[in-house]
Amino acid sequence: MSFAPKPHAALLIVGHGSTENPDSSTPYFEHADEIRQRGGFGEVHCCFWKEEPSMREVEYMIDAEEIYVVPDFISEGYFTQEVIPRELRLEGPTTQRAGKTWHYTLPVGVHRSMTGLLLQRAKEVAPDAPPSETTLFIVGHGTGLNQNSTKAIRDQVELIKASGAGYAEVHDAFMEEQPFIAEWDKLAATPNVVVVPFFIADGLHSYQDIPVLLGIEAEPGEAASQREVFRHNPHHLRGKTLYYSSAIGTERNMADVILDQVADFDATHRTTVSP
Amino acid sequence: MKIAERLAQAVAGGIRQIGQVSIRPHAAGYELRHIEDEGVPAAELESSQDPAAAREISTWAEDAHYRFTKGELSLKRGWLLLLSSADELRQALDLFYPAAVGLWFAQGDGLLEAEHLRPKLARQTGMYRFTRNLSDARAQQLVREVCGPGNCCVKKILWQIDADTPLEDSDASRFDGVVGDVDRRQAVPLLCREACNHFVAEARKAVKGEAK
Repeated sequence: MSFAPKPHAALLIVGHGSTENPDSSTPYFEHADEIRQRGGFGEVHCCFWKEEPSMREVEYMIDAEEIYVVPDFISEGYFTQEVIPRELRLEGPTTQRAGKTWHYTLPVGVHRSMTGLLLQRAKEVAPDAPPSETTLFIVGHGTGLNQNSTKAIRDQVELIKASGAGYAEVHDAFMEEQPFIAEWDKLAATPNVVVVPFFIADGLHSYQDIPVLLGIEAEPGEAASQREVFRHNPHHLRGKTLYYSSAIGTERNMADVILDQVADFDATHRTTVSP
Repeated sequence: MKIAERLAQAVAGGIRQIGQVSIRPHAAGYELRHIEDEGVPAAELESSQDPAAAREISTWAEDAHYRFTKGELSLKRGWLLLLSSADELRQALDLFYPAAVGLWFAQGDGLLEAEHLRPKLARQTGMYRFTRNLSDARAQQLVREVCGPGNCCVKKILWQIDADTPLEDSDASRFDGVVGDVDRRQAVPLLCREACNHFVAEARKAVKGEAK
């Protein structure tokens, strides 16, 4: 599904944000910049749960009468199904309010085009590791409270297995539930291992917690923007060669996934698309 | 009329400041700098022509703490933004003070809807749902402890505890959203239309404290 430019409409990217780490919102601004430069929308804005502008303030920033709201989240769950609709006062896929029309798409992480992005990232981080001798891990947080985030990752694992990319093994793994990423060396039978965190931002989890679980770091490091040197791959650990990627959401081509979700929304919910 | 066009009109009509940012129009566009750098030669400031630079400038305070609320009175000095259009001016100001320009226009149009604290807390879910148990007395105290220039936030509070309960008089409730001793007609005030999520997080801590 290709994206048809919408110069009359606004794109609103919704992120979580953080009161502790500004790196948490950097990818959202980068995705917005990328789409702004491509000129696909008349306006592009970001809003956040934990930062400004808030979801209640952002409507005062928008000129357009038609707005596409894309949750820049990795899965459906509490935020995309409860918090965002409540804060933006959305009543379904399309909401008419005070002369404006709001379209609410699915979160980026559940789009099938994420598969290509994950494979591209895995190849970039380990260009010399033959897939046939490599295990690819897609890693999430994992918690008993939200099965949707684990499902989004398991779905991606199945899509990668079916893609013909040729990896010896592809696994889902989690920080706080089985299969645990801390046991990566026991889960992988191959000499090479590639780990891609399925998060939007390089925040506490992907940059600090997972490196400790992998054994790259002895204790959580500083926030990404405060580090002098980016982590160097590969790491020779536990008898294997380990390649660790930054969070998948930091990929600039996430802009394509955002536009794909908009195109999918139109295909699913709109019989006639306004010019 | 679009927000950027209205902003250009407002600057042409004499607007020169928002928060801690000074706005100067000139033939080639607009020049932004810290209000305390008004008299500093441009050559001594770090200049950029990219409106997106406003995010980096406004992310860290001078003492290197993270400014997650942009109404904080802690914008660092030493920078200069040279912008070529009203669209770029608007983009930069929306990064320095998110939504502030649009909120000000909406207020002028009579279209700004403030939300009082009670409905804000009542709609919270998850870990914040207990904030609805905050007492009025503690809420009034929190405004004095969290809001206003004394606590580094320079927004004008538009909300009350509820429709019948105004905020008690304090430096925080009295602040008009304009920094410094300047002609109020030349400044865009920073407006707080509902308690921010930082306030809600503090309310959660206060409720847990009250429960103990």
